[in-house]
Amino acid sequence: MFSHLTVAYTFIYVCLGLIALGIILLIQMKVSHNKEQQRREMYERKHHDYFMYIQAHVENEGALRLPPGKLKPLERRVIQDKFMEWIEQFKGECRDRLIQMCRDAGFVEADLKALGSFRYGRRLEAAYRLGGMRAEEAVPALLKMLQEGKYSSMSIIIARSIAKSARKSEDVLEMLRSLLSHGKPIHHLAADIMLETGLDAGSLLMKLLDDQDPALIKVGLVAMWGQAVPEVMPVLGRLVGSEEKDVRAEAVKLYLSSNPALKDETIVQLMNDRNWEVRAAAAKALGPLHAAGSIPLLVKALQDANWKVRHNSAESLAKLGEAGFEALCQAALSGAGIQREAALQRIELEMEKEQEHSAIEQMVAYNKKRLIHDRYFGVKRQPVARVTGVAAVGGDYTA
Amino acid sequence: MVAIYYVMIVNILYFTITGLSFRNIFKIYRRSKYSSYNTLSGSELVPSVSLLVPAYNEELTIIENVYCLMTLNYPTYEVIVINDGSSDHTLSVLIKEFKLVKMVNPEIRGTIDTNNVRGIYHNPDYPQLFIIDKENGGKADSLNAGINFSHYPLISSIDADSLLEKDALIRMARMYMENPEEMVAIGGDVRIANGCLIENGAVQKVSLPRKIWPMFQSIEYLKAFLGGRIGWSHINGLVIVSGAFGLFRKDYVIAVGGYRGGYPGEDMNIIIKLHRYMLSHKLPYKVAFCPEAVCWTQAPDSYKIISNQRMRWGRGNLKNMIENRGMLFNPKYKVMGMITMPYNVLFETLNPYFRITGLLALLGYTLLDMTHWRILLTFFLLNFLSGYLLSVGAIILEEIAFRRFKKLSDLWKMLLFSALKFVGYHQLGVIWRVQGHIQYLRKNNSWGAMTRQSWKEESEPA
Repeated sequence: MFSHLTVAYTFIYVCLGLIALGIILLIQMKVSHNKEQQRREMYERKHHDYFMYIQAHVENEGALRLPPGKLKPLERRVIQDKFMEWIEQFKGECRDRLIQMCRDAGFVEADLKALGSFRYGRRLEAAYRLGGMRAEEAVPALLKMLQEGKYSSMSIIIARSIAKSARKSEDVLEMLRSLLSHGKPIHHLAADIMLETGLDAGSLLMKLLDDQDPALIKVGLVAMWGQAVPEVMPVLGRLVGSEEKDVRAEAVKLYLSSNPALKDETIVQLMNDRNWEVRAAAAKALGPLHAAGSIPLLVKALQDANWKVRHNSAESLAKLGEAGFEALCQAALSGAGIQREAALQRIELEMEKEQEHSAIEQMVAYNKKRLIHDRYFGVKRQPVARVTGVAAVGGDYTA
Repeated sequence: MVAIYYVMIVNILYFTITGLSFRNIFKIYRRSKYSSYNTLSGSELVPSVSLLVPAYNEELTIIENVYCLMTLNYPTYEVIVINDGSSDHTLSVLIKEFKLVKMVNPEIRGTIDTNNVRGIYHNPDYPQLFIIDKENGGKADSLNAGINFSHYPLISSIDADSLLEKDALIRMARMYMENPEEMVAIGGDVRIANGCLIENGAVQKVSLPRKIWPMFQSIEYLKAFLGGRIGWSHINGLVIVSGAFGLFRKDYVIAVGGYRGGYPGEDMNIIIKLHRYMLSHKLPYKVAFCPEAVCWTQAPDSYKIISNQRMRWGRGNLKNMIENRGMLFNPKYKVMGMITMPYNVLFETLNPYFRITGLLALLGYTLLDMTHWRILLTFFLLNFLSGYLLSVGAIILEEIAFRRFKKLSDLWKMLLFSALKFVGYHQLGVIWRVQGHIQYLRKNNSWGAMTRQSWKEESEPA
């Protein structure tokens, strides 16, 4: 019994010791954090006039004055933080001037030195700050840091710094290559990081799309959403025939989103593609193209197993004038199951647009649709009876 | 002596998990401080999310919560409130506030069975807001109805009594984007909002609760989330993502049949099902915890409500363990089968019985021979000190990475209540869990009383 109790007593003593240590540590941390916060606020007040001076003169020609007097480490940090905040907000010459200020004040140099620190926390903090200051001289060291580390949230922080600081597209490509070398499908995140660069996005995208690595091509394709880059269209045309399934789907979606003229056989080919994303993109593109000849294809696509394809086909049919809308009404009345469901929903949406028309042409177009609708479903405006449970057939969640 | 050894072993396990939390806390601090959210929150490259908000009798808080959810820093998302047959005016206050109209033939793409959906309400002026009105079927049933209607590939379940921080969702999405193939579920950090100053649907000033019950829960949540879940997440052994705030891959939630209806504990159940599914299909996966994504919730502030909640949790836990007993010590289920599930059964589900029998045995032993009062005292001290040490550890984790409570007096208050927790509250927790188990055996399946008070009242000074 005695020995058992001894174990328990030891356990108790260890707990007591750790509790005492923990409480001392807690108090020390709390006091020092609060003190640092107070000193930060004090320095912000102290340099208020200097910050006002910078804001007032940042757009003027000529060098800006450095912070006055001999600064304490925390004071320097407060000023550096403010500069970094402005670098994020400003563009063009103002930003360049602030970046130069960071160099002149020695902030860049200090953080470059910290990149060689023994402590990982310091190195990462320095990497973050160097990115914030767009320090191109830090890029080689940051690339090395990224390549040597295991993939984690920290890699993303370093990669963002490289994207912000790099002045050569090769460095951005190198960063992306390193980030994607772990085999994770992080193309969207990589594209977001890439778009932080101050380099010309058009030429960078061209380089990405011309790369041999499918992962890099995907990043380029993903990054192109929302970017108008006409010079990449020929490359896109080539990628539409790519053997990489994902690359092809992304390329087709992008290509079609630019409303290109399509040949009939291309339309048929795309609408029968094995990849639902391609079919959905093709169905979506046919409406704005006013390709009335594609109505039978779209009606057929109302039965597609994928919801998005059905949805886009119905939407496009509604955009194809009276003929398209009539085909939609026919599908709603004589079709069955998911085809009927998709058609009905679109018809309801079109009829709800009644209030929104102001232009005469739109009103005329609406009234024509209204007449077709009444011919199929009767004059009295009431919701078309829904066959409950039908939507369940082939339901999917691939939004 | 068995009872004493049991306490020591269970605490060594707790310490190990807390140790893992300490191992990860600096990484969490760095990613939270140095990650860039301003570009991400405006980026089209961020995945779209459907927020699912089950609401049952939430007329007092729902408007403020919906406004809070509609103003998150997130590029593309929708808010789907599911009115689960409320008997109060939850639906009518929503219709009135947002001028909603019933949709004609709304499109419901999902196939999970749910109770009858009476209608879906929408106003084109608030394009990302939808209200599903359905017959009462419970929280899981409501979430399933939300999944059926949702339009986006990620879903996030949020309690109607909770307020998200503006960056909470984008922080989770960042974590998802870093490993989109493997990340099947991410849990957020739930904190107690009682005592905080709440304005315009957001926590403006963080303070500790003024009332005693929420204060105990505040410490408890800190310990469970920071001390526990960071560690469990590190070994991919998280058994629960809090129902108050979690992000899920919709395709996998559907693959496991959606949420299990008809019984509390659906938040733990869905995570166990996801583990089981991914491990059975040999798919690489991760269930992660994102402590920097914070959701503030109203904690029960009366004995009746907290006891109901805890009994419900006890019932839910027991049900989940019994349902998934096949995973216990099954090497096929790796960390889940060999560590998480046995840990939960032995040290969570059965914990009250070990403690009560141990205590009774010791008491009996001491009554028979008063010279053994030292053993009894040792047992109490072991329990108290190890538990207190864990609380101190959780407060240190909080101070290292988050520092939400600024004042030194907050620290003293947390340390004091961490100790007071062992005088009464802790014991009540054990009793509530046993009562929950009795309810389970009696097949009492009710949710129990859960009243809300307006956020405005809550933030008024006492």
